[in-house]
Amino acid sequence: MADPAELLARARDAVQMAKEAGAQEAWASTSRRREVEVKYRDDHIETVQESTRRGLSIRLWVDGRYSTHATTDLHPDSLATFIPEAVALTRALEQDPFRTITPPALFANQPTDRLDIEDESVRRIRPQQRVQWCEQIVGAARQHERIISSTTGVSTNEGESASVSSNGFEGTRVSTSAWCGGEVTLRDQGERRPEGWYWAGGAHLSAVPARREIGALALADASRQLGSVPGPTRRTKMVVEPRSSGRLLSQLLRAANARSFSQGRSFFMEKIGERIVSDKLTLIDDPLMARGLASRHFDGDGISARQMPIIEAGVLRNIYVDVYYGRKIEMAPTTGSRSNLRLALGEKNLSELVEEAGSGVLVTAWMGGNVDITTGDFSFGLRGHLIEGGEVGAPVSEMNVTGNMLTLFNQLSAVGNDPWPYSSIRSPTLVFDDVQFSGADAP
Amino acid sequence: MTSRRDFLHHTAAGTAALSMPAFLQACGGAAQRATTPQAAPANPFAEWFGVSREDLRAALSALTANGADHADLYFQHSRSTSIQYQDGIISRASTTIDQGVGLRCVVGDQTGYAFTEEITREAMVAAAGTAASIARGSAAAAPREIRHRDLPHNFYATQVSWRDVGIDRRLPLLRRAAEMARSRDSAITKVELYWTDSDKRVMMADMRGNVLLDSQPMARLYVTVTAERNGQRQSNSANIAGRRGIEFFTEEQLETVTRQAVERTMILFDAGRPPAGEMPVVLASGPSGILLHEAIGHGMEADFNRKGVSIYSDMIGQQVAEDFVTIVDDGTIEHERGSINVDDEGQPSSRTTLVENGRLVSYMHDLISARHYGVEPTGSGRRQSFRHVVMPRMRCTFMEDGPHAREEIIRSVENGILAETFTNGQVQIGAGDYTFYIKNGYLIENGALTRPIKDINIIGNGPETLRRITMAASDGHLDTGGWTCGKDGQSVPVSQGIPTVLVSRLTVGGENRG
Repeated sequence: MADPAELLARARDAVQMAKEAGAQEAWASTSRRREVEVKYRDDHIETVQESTRRGLSIRLWVDGRYSTHATTDLHPDSLATFIPEAVALTRALEQDPFRTITPPALFANQPTDRLDIEDESVRRIRPQQRVQWCEQIVGAARQHERIISSTTGVSTNEGESASVSSNGFEGTRVSTSAWCGGEVTLRDQGERRPEGWYWAGGAHLSAVPARREIGALALADASRQLGSVPGPTRRTKMVVEPRSSGRLLSQLLRAANARSFSQGRSFFMEKIGERIVSDKLTLIDDPLMARGLASRHFDGDGISARQMPIIEAGVLRNIYVDVYYGRKIEMAPTTGSRSNLRLALGEKNLSELVEEAGSGVLVTAWMGGNVDITTGDFSFGLRGHLIEGGEVGAPVSEMNVTGNMLTLFNQLSAVGNDPWPYSSIRSPTLVFDDVQFSGADAP
Repeated sequence: MTSRRDFLHHTAAGTAALSMPAFLQACGGAAQRATTPQAAPANPFAEWFGVSREDLRAALSALTANGADHADLYFQHSRSTSIQYQDGIISRASTTIDQGVGLRCVVGDQTGYAFTEEITREAMVAAAGTAASIARGSAAAAPREIRHRDLPHNFYATQVSWRDVGIDRRLPLLRRAAEMARSRDSAITKVELYWTDSDKRVMMADMRGNVLLDSQPMARLYVTVTAERNGQRQSNSANIAGRRGIEFFTEEQLETVTRQAVERTMILFDAGRPPAGEMPVVLASGPSGILLHEAIGHGMEADFNRKGVSIYSDMIGQQVAEDFVTIVDDGTIEHERGSINVDDEGQPSSRTTLVENGRLVSYMHDLISARHYGVEPTGSGRRQSFRHVVMPRMRCTFMEDGPHAREEIIRSVENGILAETFTNGQVQIGAGDYTFYIKNGYLIENGALTRPIKDINIIGNGPETLRRITMAASDGHLDTGGWTCGKDGQSVPVSQGIPTVLVSRLTVGGENRG
């Protein structure tokens, strides 16, 4: 077990230094993270990286003014200059009546739920073991006559952090994660060299599937793109694979925060409590999920973690509200940032939903695109497959999908039962009706 | 927290992304050109990083204890300041100090890498041992002499280092910019500014004892406005960026960037979507350089090519575009965001011609790929920080002027669009498919600009698109906004530019077609 006691002590010292330099309130966080990564290309090791990073950040409230500071130079002599300079700089700013340190009521009753985000076995992986896993992944990934190149990797993190505030908050977080993956490039017709990938992992080593399976899945992701042609321009159903549906959800939530509201830049404004999207959508922020990649007991403001529905059966219930913007727009703070997201799941998996859709487009990867968070207008590039006769058909690429986020999520007609496990967004298959695709056909 | 999957969404599977920085950087004007970094101290090892020649020798010896084709140390000490203006006040400021040393041991195409944020001999020797484990040979000779070499040029001299500019000199610029933005149109309800500046001091020491120092300034000013009209809200932004000092932030520069932010916002009230499908696309001069970055730039980075995973891997020497198409990646343009005096392996920056009169002539190289191909490095080896390994990266990518006139190009289009401003782009290196997102533009009908358009994605294939550049004007210039390029999880500042060009056919995200 890692022991964050030393990090806590350093954070307490930093708060003390800030107070001595004249800050009324201070909030210090310290962290340390060990990262090890082996990358293997074709038949040999390409890179081995191993390092431990550390850092200190401090938030200061000085005479009604506010600033934040960070450094990786933790030498006591350096901090003895850095913190007083930071306090002096803060005095040169303007008073902001909305800036206050988190009221203790928001961090009282910090949850004690077991998050289970630390796995001792991640700390014990030997270097030779990492190389063997790479060899196993690559062995399965290269089983194709059109192989050009394959890269595989094993990556682990061991992190600890501590936060201390001048008004009584203390908290620590210790976590691990382990990831294995592969990327495969195949030779297609003409000039094209499609690349597929598969990365999987989690807080525990046991979250990583069999290494050969990872290699085979990376290869399958490349080989399903062979023979891809530009897709058509049409309005039709859109089925989004679990691996890709998380991006749509994260784009939807970009507008669901108090900062955007305060600046008049959110397509959710004036809609809290209203039904804004299909009743198929229930979206819950769940910081206490066991083994969740973003599980936590408190957020950056120290606010005690709890489950929070964002959208319930299509009704907008909550947005992300931190202490500062909550005061600005007169909303009670919820939490300032996203943790894990989960959905109310449906009854069917991807292949059943493809069959049910009958025809349409299956999206397997997004390519670029963006959303205007003020209006909700969006346009994304994509690749995937045509859906014909209830089956996954020919691979297509060079397509865009264009519309408005609220309209799109009103057209959500089905949610799968197959959430993607390797992300803090546990997104399942999503099916949307009547979506505008633009492809090869001339207008 | 982002998951590994999210991270890899941009970096695995031959995908690279380009985006507007979250902040804007400002540039400085008439700076004197100096021949060495102005802040270079007399005894740089000690004054900048607190290390001695003996420390460097000890770290390099440990790094090459099992042999190496190349080994180097990359010291960094960067100091950055960011300031936010929101709702009428300077609401927040931040400072960051990021220091450390990265240690690299290269054998063939294999790299051992480690870093430490603690710059002591003990920490460096320990990290060197980790990096050296990639090698299996006998120790390389330790450098006999540690030699401080002068930089060949300084492409970003500033009147004063950002380290010596007080916060009190920055704040009036933000207040002035906010006042300009707000007073430009009565429909403006919110003005938000984000300022960042930094000075990144680096020192590179290689196994032969060569030591180079550079002091790399950067500044950005990012302006975002929200406007309301008839119950509708719109917002948009503009920014200026460069390796500049505070002298660049003149009244004129502030005027330009705030005007751009307001104009680009107000026109959205009247903007719609074009039809969906393939059509001719005219790319306006300047910011449309994003096309080059995505459609060809990434694919010409030599690491992808030596591995055979770029669509351009077998195309050197081939005619890939019309005769008038010449595309360059240049790290030597004064004060550009992508400019570098030397790259992050200590190689001199250069002007690298990628496509000359339509023919593919050179990739962009770091030391590993240059050795692989048996060519001179192009000074393209870059990294985000001391925590990251070097890769070939773009610097400032642009296309030379062509033989046509802008008006002639627009007149030639019966039904298509003109693309003017952009927010982000992405490419799949192997398949060659790339995209970029158009924030502002116009519909072209019967050879004339008609309605404004907004918020559409463009998708195409790199080599196909090069073949379809059928016209290019003589109005090329570099974008004044700042761009940040992401590859394999590493972000580096880049610049780009282009003259007005016509791509005869591209897939445009649009609406109302079935």
